[in-house]
This record gives sequence, C-alpha cells and structure tokens, in this order.
Amino acid sequence: MASKVNKAPKKKENRLRFPERIGKAFSSFVKRFVDGSLGTKLSHFIFGAGNFYHKQYIKGLLFLLIQVGILALMILCPSINNTPYGWKALRNLSLKNVSEGGEFDMNTGTMLPPSDCKLMILFGFVTIAMIIIYFLVWNLNIASSYKADMDRKVGKKPSTFREDLQDLLDGKFHALMLTPTCIAATVFTILPTVFMIALAFTTYNQHDMNDIGTNLFHWNGLQNFRAVFTGEGSLGVEIHHRFLPVLGWTFIWAIFATLTCYFGGIILALLINKKGLKAKKLFRTIFILTIAVPQFISLLAVRNLLGQYGPFNSLLMDLGLTTAPIGFLGLNPGDSESLAKVMVIIINMWVGVPYTMLMTSGILMNIPSDLYEAARVDGASTVKMFFKITLPYVIFITTPYLISSFIGNMNSFNSIFLLTGGGPAYPGYQAGGTDLLVTWLYKVTIDQHLYNTGAVIGIMTFLITATITLITYRRSKAYNEEDTFQ
Amino acid sequence: MSTTKTKKVSSQSRNRRVSLGVTYAILIVLGIIWLIPFVWILLCAFRCDYQPDGTFIGRVTSYFIPKNFGFKNFTDLFSATYYGVAKAFPRWMLNTLIIAVVDCVISTFLVLSVAYCMSKLRFKLRKPFMNLSMIIGLFPSFMSMIAIYFLLKSVGLTGNPAHPEYSVIGLILAYSAGAGLGFQIAKGFFDVIPNALVESAKLDGCTNFQIFRRIILPLAKPIIIYQALMSFTGPWMDFIFAKVIIGADNPSYWTVSVGLYSLLFGTHPDTNLFTQFAAGCVIVAIPIVTLFMFLQKYYVEGVTAGAVKG
Amino acid sequence: MKKVLCMILAVAMLATLLVGCGGGSTPSVPDDGIIRVWVGEESAEFYQKICNEYVAAHPDFGYTIEVKGMDTGSVAGTISNDPTAAADIYTVAHDNIGKLASTQCAKPITDEGLIDQVLADNPESFQSVIYSTLNDKTYLYGVPYISQALFLYYNKSAVTEEEAQSFEGLQAAAQRAGCKAFTVTGDDGFNMSFALLARKVSDHSTTVKIYEGAEAKSGGSKGVSNCQGDDTVAIIRWLQAFAADPNGFKWASSDGWDADLDKDNQGVLAVIGGAWHYNTAKAALGETNLGITLIPTLTLTDASVAGLTGVSAGDVYRGGTFADCKCFMINANSAPGKYLKEQELIKYLSSKDVQNASYLECLNVPSYVGASDFIKQCYTDGKVSESQFNLAAMQVAMAEWGIPQPFITGTLNTYYYSKNAPAVFRAMIDQTAYPTTGDQILTETTSLDGIRQGLYLVEYLWMHGVTPDSFPASLPAQA
Repeated sequence: MASKVNKAPKKKENRLRFPERIGKAFSSFVKRFVDGSLGTKLSHFIFGAGNFYHKQYIKGLLFLLIQVGILALMILCPSINNTPYGWKALRNLSLKNVSEGGEFDMNTGTMLPPSDCKLMILFGFVTIAMIIIYFLVWNLNIASSYKADMDRKVGKKPSTFREDLQDLLDGKFHALMLTPTCIAATVFTILPTVFMIALAFTTYNQHDMNDIGTNLFHWNGLQNFRAVFTGEGSLGVEIHHRFLPVLGWTFIWAIFATLTCYFGGIILALLINKKGLKAKKLFRTIFILTIAVPQFISLLAVRNLLGQYGPFNSLLMDLGLTTAPIGFLGLNPGDSESLAKVMVIIINMWVGVPYTMLMTSGILMNIPSDLYEAARVDGASTVKMFFKITLPYVIFITTPYLISSFIGNMNSFNSIFLLTGGGPAYPGYQAGGTDLLVTWLYKVTIDQHLYNTGAVIGIMTFLITATITLITYRRSKAYNEEDTFQ
Repeated sequence: MSTTKTKKVSSQSRNRRVSLGVTYAILIVLGIIWLIPFVWILLCAFRCDYQPDGTFIGRVTSYFIPKNFGFKNFTDLFSATYYGVAKAFPRWMLNTLIIAVVDCVISTFLVLSVAYCMSKLRFKLRKPFMNLSMIIGLFPSFMSMIAIYFLLKSVGLTGNPAHPEYSVIGLILAYSAGAGLGFQIAKGFFDVIPNALVESAKLDGCTNFQIFRRIILPLAKPIIIYQALMSFTGPWMDFIFAKVIIGADNPSYWTVSVGLYSLLFGTHPDTNLFTQFAAGCVIVAIPIVTLFMFLQKYYVEGVTAGAVKG
Repeated sequence: MKKVLCMILAVAMLATLLVGCGGGSTPSVPDDGIIRVWVGEESAEFYQKICNEYVAAHPDFGYTIEVKGMDTGSVAGTISNDPTAAADIYTVAHDNIGKLASTQCAKPITDEGLIDQVLADNPESFQSVIYSTLNDKTYLYGVPYISQALFLYYNKSAVTEEEAQSFEGLQAAAQRAGCKAFTVTGDDGFNMSFALLARKVSDHSTTVKIYEGAEAKSGGSKGVSNCQGDDTVAIIRWLQAFAADPNGFKWASSDGWDADLDKDNQGVLAVIGGAWHYNTAKAALGETNLGITLIPTLTLTDASVAGLTGVSAGDVYRGGTFADCKCFMINANSAPGKYLKEQELIKYLSSKDVQNASYLECLNVPSYVGASDFIKQCYTDGKVSESQFNLAAMQVAMAEWGIPQPFITGTLNTYYYSKNAPAVFRAMIDQTAYPTTGDQILTETTSLDGIRQGLYLVEYLWMHGVTPDSFPASLPAQA
C-alpha cells in the first residue's frame, strides 16, 4: 500500500497533455539527430546503419531487411487475384480506377476479370498498416542506435545480440509474450474490423449490385447513414423500420434473460446446497448438462421437441389442452410473436440458470455462518434471512458478473438463432420479430451478403454496447482500484 | 419444561423434514424438466421405426418413445455420403479433433502469456493494450468474419481449390488468433496470486521468464485447464464461423458441428435425417460432456474467477 | 530497443507472407491440370463417375476432373459473393444466367459443336433464356441438362385419383380427413408460380406477362410485364378464400413441408413440389401412398369474380408453373488454358446419353426435346418404378402449362430475387398489410382495391426493383 501512495502523484506528473507530448516527442527527435553519432544520423535513412556502426551486425541486418522488405512491397506491388499491394493499393483505395472487365477472346479463352473492389480496400488497408509499421521500425532503429551512442558515452559497451535476446526473457519479457497476440490481433481482429467499418461508407451490397448487374462498388460517404433516417433504398428500408424494434427487443431480452437466469440460479444453488440434502452431486450433474452439451445440440433438440408435429404439441393435444398445434417459437407465419418471446426467455433459463447456480454455489458457502446464527437467534424466518442476508451478500459480490452477463445476453446469438431463427418473419424485411441485433447482423452479412447494411448495423450496435460498457466499467471498482486487489 | 422443549425440537425437525421433502420434490421435478430434451435426443438416436411399407422413419415424430430400438442411425451415419463426401461424418469428427487439439494448445499459450503480462508486469503500453482489447471486443464478431475470410483467401489459406485442406489451417489461425484478447478471466486468476511471491523471486535474481515458468505456471494449473477446456470444446460447438471460413463448397473439411447443422438445415435431398442428426449429436456430446464432468472443478474456478473479479 | 523484436517478428512475418505469396507477376489462376465441377449435391457421385469414365476413355483429354456437390438453392449466391473461389464449371438454374453473366462470373460459350448441340436438343422455350450479353454482343452462356417444373404429390391413401385433379377435390378429401388440402415447399416466386401462372383450361390463356420482349442487353428495355389482369385478381381472391378455409391451402410449416405431408401427421394431403423433392415425399408418404399428378385445376367462384369483367364464375383454370432448366456454365475466372476442354466436357455431360443416365440414377428429368419417349421406354422396360415414371411424365406434361422463369438479360431475375415481390404476394394471400410493420404501403389486401394495389406493387417491383412512392388514381395501370 505504501508504494501505491508514492506512486500516485508520480503518475499524474507523467500524464502530459497531448500537445505537450507531441512537442516532447519532436524535440527528442531533433535531439537524437543532432546529438547522435554518424551511425545514428545515417539510421534516419538506412535502417540498421547505426547498429552496423556499433558493430551490432545481426540487429542491423534485421532492421535493414525490414526496410528492404517493405520498400520492395511498396514499389514492386505484388498482386494477388489481380489486386496489387504497395503504392498501387493506395491509389486503388479511391475505388476510382476500376474496370468492368469482360474483354473476351474466344480463341484463347481469356477474359479480363473486373476489378475486385473489396480486395482493393482490404489491400489498401494492409498497405497502410505496413507504412505505419515502417515508421514505427524507423523510429525503433534510430532509438536503438541512439541508445548505443549513449552507452558508449558513459563507457558501456553497446549490448550484443545475445544480450538483447536474454533481455527478452527478463526486462522485455512482455514484448516476447505479447508479440504473437499483437500480430494475430492486428491481422485477424483490428484489420478486419476496420475493413468492415469502411464498408459502411460504400455501396457494397450484393443485392443492389446484382440488381444493376455489376460487381463493382464505390464509396458513397455518409449516404448510408442518411438513408437510415430517410428510409431510402434497400439499406434504408431495412434499418429505418427495423432498427428501433430490434434494439428495443434486444434490451428487453437482455434484461429478462439476465434477471431470470440470475435469480433462478441463486434459488437453484440454495436448493441444491440445502443442509441435509443427499445426492447433491447428482443434481448438480443433471443441471450442468446444459452447459456441457453444445448449444446447437440442446437448443435444436428443444426446437424440434416443441415443433408443430413434435411430441410436446401432440402431448398437449392428447391431454385436450389444445385442439391445434401451438407455434411456440414463432417459426410459422401467423404464430404469436409475444409467445415466441416468452418462450425464448423461458428456454434460455434452461441453459443459463445452471451457469449462475455453479457460480453462486461457492459464494453461498462462503457467507459467514455467524450472520445466520445471529439472525436465527433474533427469530428471523428462512425467507427473511434470504432477503436480508443471502441476497444482498451475493449481489454485492457478483455485480460485475451481472453487468458482463447483460452484455453477454445482448449478444446471445445461439439462443435466438437456434430456437426461433428470428421469427416470426416480417415479410419484406430481414429482421424478424425475435431477432436480436446480433442475429440480424448475421442474416444481413453472412446470409444475404448485404455488407454495407451489416456494417451500418454493426457500427450502431458497437456505439450502444460501448456506451453501456463505458458507463458501467469506468465506475466499477475493478477498473479504478485494479492494484488494490493484489 | 422438558416436554415443551422436546415438542419444540420435534416440531422443528418436522419442519426441517417437510422443507427438505419439498426441496427434493422441486429438484426432482426440475431435474426431469432439465433432462427431457436430452433423453429425447438419445431416444431419437436409437429409434429404428419403419412405415408399414418398409420406409425408414427418420423425421421428428409425434410420439416420444420409439417403438423399436436399433443402431441403424449410427451405422448409417458412419457410412453415409453427405454433400458428395464419402464417409463424411468420421471425416468431420477427425477434422474437428485436429482443429480442437491445435487450437487448444495455441490458444491456451496465448491467453496465459497475455494474462501474465497484464497481471504481473508493468510496461508503458499496458493500459492502452487493455483498453484496445476491450474496445475491439465490443464489435460484433460477425463484422470481422467475412473480412477474415477474404484475408485468409488472399494468402491461399481458404477458398483455395488446389489445396482445400489449407482451409483447416486457416480456421485454426482464425480461432486461435483472437484468443489472446480473451485474457480477462486468466488475468483475474493471476491477480489473486500475491505480488510478494513475484517480488521475492526477483530479489533472488530470477528473470521474468523464470518467474513465469517456475512460480506462476505451477500455480496456474486450474486456469490452464480451464482455458484448455474452453478452447478445446469451442470448435465442437461453433457452427457459423467454421462454415464461413472453411466454405460452403468445401464439405470434406467441415467440422462436425457444421456438418450436423447442415444435415438439418441444408437442402440435402433427403430431409428424413433427424434421427441421424440425433445420433451424431450423441456421438459429439458424449466425449465433450465426459471431459466437462471430469474437469468441472476447474470450470467452476474459471467462471468464478472471471465473474466475481470482472 | 523498445520491443524491437516484437516489431521485427511482426513485419518479417507480414512481409514474407505478402511478398512470398504475391509472387510478382505470375498469373493469378494457374492451370493446374484439374477441371473442377460443381453440380447439385444429389448427383455429385453420378457425375464424378461419368467424368472418370470420360477421362479414362479419352487419354488425350489431359485433365483430371473433380466433381463436388453443392447446395442447389444457394450456389448462385455463393458464386456471386466470391467468384474466384468457385469451380471451373458450375451448374445453376437458368434464371441466374443474367446475373452471373452481367457480373462477369461466367464465360461465354463459343464452341460451335457445343452450340449446335444445344440448339438441336433443346426446346425453343429454353433456347430463349440461356443467352446473355457481354459488351453488347450476345453469347450462349448456359447449357441445359436438367428440366425442372412443379407438379403435385398427394397422399393416395386419403385422396382418390379423381379428387387429385382439382383443388376442389382435394378440399373435399381434406374435409373427410380433417386437415388442410395442400401446401407448397417454399413461399418464393418459383413456388408460388402455381397461382400466378394459372391458365384457363379451355384455351391455355393467361394475361400474366413477365418481361415480354425485353432487350437482350445490359441496361436495355425491360419489356412488358403485367400481373393485374382480372384473371389474376380472381385467382388471388380464390386463393385467399382457399387459404382461409380450414380445409384449404396452408403455408409449409417450420417442421418442413414433408412433416406436413407425413401420413401420420396428416397436416396436408398434397404438396406442390418438383422432382428434387421426390425422395423426401416418398419418405413422408411411403412408396405405395405416393401419388403424382399435374397441378390441379381450380374453378372460379362467384365471390372471386364479383366486380370483375374479364372473368366469370365457373371458369376453370389449371395451376401453372415455371418450367426451368438447370444449366452448365463456365466460370469467368477459370484458367484460359482449360477453356476448350471445359466446353468439350460440357458437350459430353449435356449429351442425351448422359442426361438419360442421370435420370435413371438420380431422377434428374432430362431437358432435351423428346425425352418423354425415353422415359416411357424406361417404364415399359421396367427400369423405373411407377412413381419414378409418373414424376418425369407429369413434369414433362406440366411444361405445356408453364414458361421458363423470365429474367432481364444483363441483370438478375428480379422477379425471383427481389424478395419483396413474393412477400407482397404472401401478404395478399394472408390478407394482411404490407409491409407488416413500419411505413405501410398496403394497409389492407382484402378488398378489390387492396388486391389491385398489391398486384400493381408486385408488377412495379418486377419492373423497377423498388416500391413506388404512390399508387395511380385508377387501377389497373401500367406500373
């Protein structure tokens, strides 16, 4: 704790305003160039020159390789599927110099393919990423050389390659450990996300493009977002009319799914952990089956069980409770939307309650027993003890879980997709009555290839979840007092 | 005096017995409700009913308990050709096993390394990294899916007619690449390990690598098992991402969940396949459930670490 | 030295990945000695066998052939989403030709031998829908090899052969059985053609026109469409009444139309489907109960003709169908070196002999003229069962009540792919508003005016792909 007190004011000192930081970075940059050795100066133009100057050959070579590699890529513009990287990719980002293709030579069978706009954008972004990396490495290579200069000045030998490697296991251990994830996240998460965000500003929509017989698309600025408000075009019609209903239902769903599973789970945990109850393990095993079995199995089983000609409807009819099969899940036209909504919330309990049960079991056992003893002496009933002791205690500990499970439920794809498929359908729209934002997004992008529509929905979804998360996360103890836990 | 006391005690114990009885009753009823769908799938898998003219009934029927039992669904499932792929089901199982094992190793390693760095090391880009990973996590994953497909395709790791098997590598990459960003649960676990342990090891001259290997990893067994369990079972459960990455046109390299899902919802010419689907479900579910039950303890530790810490 | 190695690794990996795989100016589609073929999933094994035999018999062919089965319903979408990943030769229903040709997913067919074979073998109706344009030149794009049309499957144990000839007969049987009369396998434009394309039995006439006289070039005139004739209005009204009837028409349930048809469930007694539904229908009803016949006739009632001049009560119409063909096409992204051999292969695969063999093995109904003789011969020779014969015979017979799905050359089959038109159609049959939420264009579809507006809307969607801002003051009017 003491160290923390010392740390706090220091931290504030370090926190510079943005312009100050820029200024500082610039002055240190100039300083390096002026003060640095010949090698450092040369490093500004040839990567690794400084390292060669300090006889750090391997490191120098690595820097040089990167420079040559990226420059070669930029100049030679290798192409994949007729779409180039390098400076041509930057030019292509405008989506202006595109060809319809189609020049056909019946004798050789050659046919000029049309430009691939999506690859043009994708490769453009990859090239931009390479340029950013180029300048990061450029800065690193100067810094590395300058550090060797400084070491020399104070009479230390510049670090050898072996020492650098060893440092990776200690001082720079985080660099070694985070590298794979940084690369993977850049390639497989950040780049694709940026790409999809960009599509929100294009006309990339397989339906519209087929309609006018082209596979080219272009940038259209903010028109897609304007269409959301005016309801024009296929994108506008879909989002303008369906966004608010879907958003509303997503919230209702998330609230109910979270609360039902949460309290259901606590009650179930109390029942199972009741003193004197035998076969606790057996009951637990039965309930967590729904966690262990893949959801596409368990939820599809329920869907078929409740189907029009499935066993459940036939049981109801045999018992005389109903004369015609009931469409529980809104899969058929004319089925009740409200019933489908109630059903998915109930069935979701089947999947979600055991999860809370598992989690709260441990917490329940840790409630100090003297709390109960004292209450019992005061003559409190079991119910009263539940509401006065158990519940507040559990809620206090699991608040972060409640928040994360709310966000989780907003994105709970399987429960909706496998049970109702978003139905009952609204003729003329992709989004049905029980579609969540996330299942709607699936239908629009993966199923129908209406990418700009999907991107707009995705961005709007992001803005909403981000707002909620920011509000709750910033306030949570976990964020503000991270260090006190240790 | 004594009589009233015994009366009180006996009434108390009677109360307790009644309430215990009620608890049993509730739990048994709930237990039955919980089991019905699984029992039904199991019954369907072993159903072997025929129509009077000898046509096999593979559809969902209105009766719960089959009239005849047999292994026909299983033998058919293992020998049938689906989507032009001979003996498709065993292939799908093998694909999934390979993908799950490799993904399990890579993902677990990535998660642990990131979680350790975030929890026990302090460096300049730590907070930005954590914030970025949180922001990225808020974008719905369907948004990036299609871009990942085109990226992988541009380097030949999927949609590559000459080497359809490369799609498996592409899928493994796609699965495990994102794993590192899901470090929060493991970080929550590491956070509980006292910093004093790390500090004292440092005083003894241990490098960060040695601390990680000798001190943290042995203590992290529960979270390692939890992460391994999660990443191993992931590919058996995912039926969307796998289909997008491997491709609808590449059924030989589908995972088993994509295959089973397609049996029910594809336009397979013979939709009389529900019982075969059920048989496939049983075969997939048994190993996963067994694994899960064995490692239950670690699973609970994992979810609790993640949930309570937040 | 901050995170030097982190960066080095990152860039080295990326750079080698990109430079290594880019490979400078090498052609993007290498000719690897394999011709890949996508066919319908049900016949993949058969075509692989046929292709292997062909390669074995022609040592100079020089290519091996890989056949893959694809989901017929979604294959066109898969191709247009990512044409470079599609096979060298693929097969789609003919109405996708316009879309795939105009987005340059397909290569024209120029081999004269093949063109001659196509012209000699195929009926005129097919010949008119397999061409498209490229740079204002008209080329043959698709080679038909399977014909497809709708007909009726019915439950013989509950419907007599005579009852199955008319919807009213089906209704009577359904009354006896206490269920609905018939269903369809989907609510898209193709499946709903039974109502839209219904023709008067006496003279085979209908006022429905879809893109008649459209110009065969991209961006050209879309020709003339009409679906607002009095006969169409009357049939919609008839179907509305039939759908509202407890023993009438029913949309397929989510359990699958075959669950509806299943003789244990008895949700419906009949289903309008195609040859590709044969196995499923057989599994639902059992071979002995499986009846196959033409789409039944309907008789206009007084209520359905009230206020209309062009029709009168008692007029008999037969349900119509789109009579389509499935075609081989060549992928535009296929290596140029394969072009000649691809055409040679298609010529063989679409030959009468192979079409016949595919009927015998996979029940694919041949598309060539005169196939019915062969089918009859197979039956007399005992090579096919009665229901297998009926299936082919009825489909061929339905062709005279149908037209191939029209599409505007150069763009997609708006009729089918503009999903909004089928949705309007469905709203009319259910007598609901359209769309069911949001800004409603059609507030009701029960009255004569409502139906007329709905039909105007459908026609407008065919012609323009979007919904109109307002309706003309008096209907019918050209959309």
